[in-house]
Amino acid sequence: MSGRTGGPRGTGSAGAAPRISHATGDRFPGFDVLAQSGHWDAVTAGVVLSRVGRPPDIRFFTPAEEAAATALCDRLLGQDDGEPKVEVVPSIDARLAEQQTDGWRYADMPQDGQAWRDTLRFLDSDSRDACSRDFALAPADDQRAVIQAVQDLGAKDWHGLNAAHVWSLWTRYACTAFYAHPSAWNEIGFPGPAYPRGYKNPGVNAREPFEVADAAPADDPVDGKDR
Amino acid sequence: MTTVRERNESAWLLPNDGSRTNHRLRADMRRFADSDTVDLVVVGCGAGGSTLLQRLARHGWRVVGLDAGPFWDPDADWVSDEAGSHHLYWTEPRVISGADPVPMGSNNSGRGVGGSMVHYAGYTPRFHPSDFATRTNDGVGADWPIGYQDLRPYYEDIEQELPVAGEDWPWGDPHGYPQRPHPVGGNGEIFLRGAYAAGITAKVGPVAISNGRFGNRPHCVYRGFCLQGCKVNAKASPLITHIPDALAHGAEIRANAMITGIGFDERTGRATGVHYIRGGVPRFQRAAAVAVAGYSIETPRLLLNSASRRFPDGLCNDFDQVGRYLMVQGAPQTAGRFDAEVRMYKSPPPEVSTEEFYETDPAQPYKRGFSIQTVSPLPITWAEHVAAQGHWGARLRRYMSDYVHWSCLGALCEFLAQPGNRVTLAEEKDRYGLPVASFSYSQCDNDKRLMRAAQGVMERILRAAGADEVITIDRYAHLVGGARMAADERHGVVDRDCRSFAVPNLYITDGSVLPTQGSANPALTIMAVSARAAAHLAAGGR
Ligand SMILES: Cc1cc2nc3c(=O)[nH]c(=O)nc-3n(C[C@H](O)[C@H](O)[C@H](O)COP(=O)(O)OP(=O)(O)OC[C@H]3O[C@@H](n4cnc5c(N)ncnc54)[C@H](O)[C@@H]3O)c2cc1C
Ligand code: SF4
Repeated sequence: MSGRTGGPRGTGSAGAAPRISHATGDRFPGFDVLAQSGHWDAVTAGVVLSRVGRPPDIRFFTPAEEAAATALCDRLLGQDDGEPKVEVVPSIDARLAEQQTDGWRYADMPQDGQAWRDTLRFLDSDSRDACSRDFALAPADDQRAVIQAVQDLGAKDWHGLNAAHVWSLWTRYACTAFYAHPSAWNEIGFPGPAYPRGYKNPGVNAREPFEVADAAPADDPVDGKDR
Repeated sequence: MTTVRERNESAWLLPNDGSRTNHRLRADMRRFADSDTVDLVVVGCGAGGSTLLQRLARHGWRVVGLDAGPFWDPDADWVSDEAGSHHLYWTEPRVISGADPVPMGSNNSGRGVGGSMVHYAGYTPRFHPSDFATRTNDGVGADWPIGYQDLRPYYEDIEQELPVAGEDWPWGDPHGYPQRPHPVGGNGEIFLRGAYAAGITAKVGPVAISNGRFGNRPHCVYRGFCLQGCKVNAKASPLITHIPDALAHGAEIRANAMITGIGFDERTGRATGVHYIRGGVPRFQRAAAVAVAGYSIETPRLLLNSASRRFPDGLCNDFDQVGRYLMVQGAPQTAGRFDAEVRMYKSPPPEVSTEEFYETDPAQPYKRGFSIQTVSPLPITWAEHVAAQGHWGARLRRYMSDYVHWSCLGALCEFLAQPGNRVTLAEEKDRYGLPVASFSYSQCDNDKRLMRAAQGVMERILRAAGADEVITIDRYAHLVGGARMAADERHGVVDRDCRSFAVPNLYITDGSVLPTQGSANPALTIMAVSARAAAHLAAGGR
């Protein structure tokens, strides 16, 4: 049951998770979380591998909402280069259909499902005001401008809602769906499930045989290399 | 002196064949009928509830513990994955409000046997002696009706039962731990290095994670998923530290049973049992005494939802105390960036702490203090930290791709108890038709000052360790209070032994009874308070 046999392209693979890292450069070349899936317990493997399979059908969003949500989430998550990408909207839709919320809402916000519906409609209306097109059909730069305007409001009012609470709703759902996906883990060098194997080499600059060193360790986002 | 095993055999009642649940013990569990008047029914099988059940079952009491959630099997029900662990949290709706509302989510309380300790981090510090008299000493908060010395023997007992691993502890009442400290991972290493360079004392521990085999519980495998439920049985939760022994001594655990009200007899003025719904069917368990241990939100909510002619504003609420003086700890989280790889996801998030800033420092413009600990968020929680800096789009992805280079510390600031921070009932109903909890929070100036002071110290430590950038997110942790213990019924809901002032056979034995919170994580203290209440009941308080 040792992970030591599994190099970056090791044993027990369930097929590689699609590489999505155009935006970030491939910092962990050859690192593939799924190459280790043969070392995961069956219950965890069932849950995680279902995310790389066919996404669930849309049940909650209307087609118009689905389109707006897809554009919103792709912009929020920087999925700007087309395929392959992580499909987050089907998993957000599934959570809303099942009312699998975080178990709380701000008193000044509707329940999560309704809040999603309302805010997607507001995005369409802002987009039509800005460029006479529904949000999903607007050019990516215009979509970004509409989103940026919401963030810039801080805690001020946006269509009757506290913009900061709207921002929290969107980013929470989008980030949870995205960073649950093995493709996202490949991009950040995180090996995902670790049971029953565990880790043998914790510590600064210590790696397991199946972990891959960052190819750009000095690529500090603060150095202003981006933007 | 008795050995741990003689007092609590739980760890030896678990299987030693690589599986995690003793199914035989559960199948053979004693079962009571609703019409049996059991000696005690306990609402909620978390930190406080399970400790009480185990103690009184040992004393021969006929006890039943009901929990709204499942009777977990770590093998079948838990995963080594962040998003897949959503079912561990209490996700029935709650409404948050106030000037500084407290979001919950994955930082939410738990649901199911083991309670919130199933997904708690595992830090188990004691409170300091000063925590029990902050009103007298510092002019803030409240004095407890008991002192540190009253809890001390119970701290020692529970530390052995969990068991707790850590270095000799120099703060508060100095003490040692039953197990040696764990080796640290990258995040702990950074904290120790930075603290040393900054002239701050930091220590490894105290964590309720077995360092070595304990009974049939194996050693930690340093996989970092403590907040998702420990599939290894290395991290302590009542599911493995107290429930097995309770079952072996004739307690019944009735899972998936949502308590909807506490039965009350207008004529005798006593509690008669609990109304609950199981499998959609409304039922009533008769009992000679009732203990409520449903967490600081659900406990006050249940009391408020249990109104009667005698208690029109909710059970035990004669003096408008129920739901008040709720406290969270301010838990700002500061991360530092290193060119080296830290890979903080390897090793348990709870590793190293300092309590050097715990006590009131007369030189500072605030009372009381804070502690600092490693926190090591996994990717989804880390994304929340990064997104809170305002990053989104390509910039968010760039920041996130840098994950292996970050080290992350968290503070626990002692927010002060205030009457307006409270649980009330919302208009909205849950699927049982019961009004959900509305939870309002506003910080006072002292709270805000502590947040910034703690952030400053975390930045100092990380910079001293060599970080070239630090980023902070304001978070909150560890709800306690809401039905506090006090000297009399005008200032609290229960007395020093956790017995309610208003109803002589009604007890509250969870985090709700804490009048102050210090800057220690609360689970150990909750268990110690409950164990003390159990000793009082066993000695004839029945
Ligand atoms: C993410 C996270 C990390 C944490 N880390 C730490 C840590 O490192 N150290 C620490 O000391 N503490 C930590 N805590 C806090 C700690 O887990 C709690 O303070 C403690 O478990 C509370 O104990 P309790 O007995 O009050 O309630 P719980 O342990 O939450 O138990 C309450 C139980 O009651 C049940 N219940 C509630 N209402 C009803 C009802 N109406 N009917 C039936 N059942 C009901 C619930 O299902 C639950 O099982 C953490 C908490 C979280 C969320
Ligand atoms: S790190 Fe250790 S204690 Fe934490 S979940 Fe993994 S095995 Fe359990």
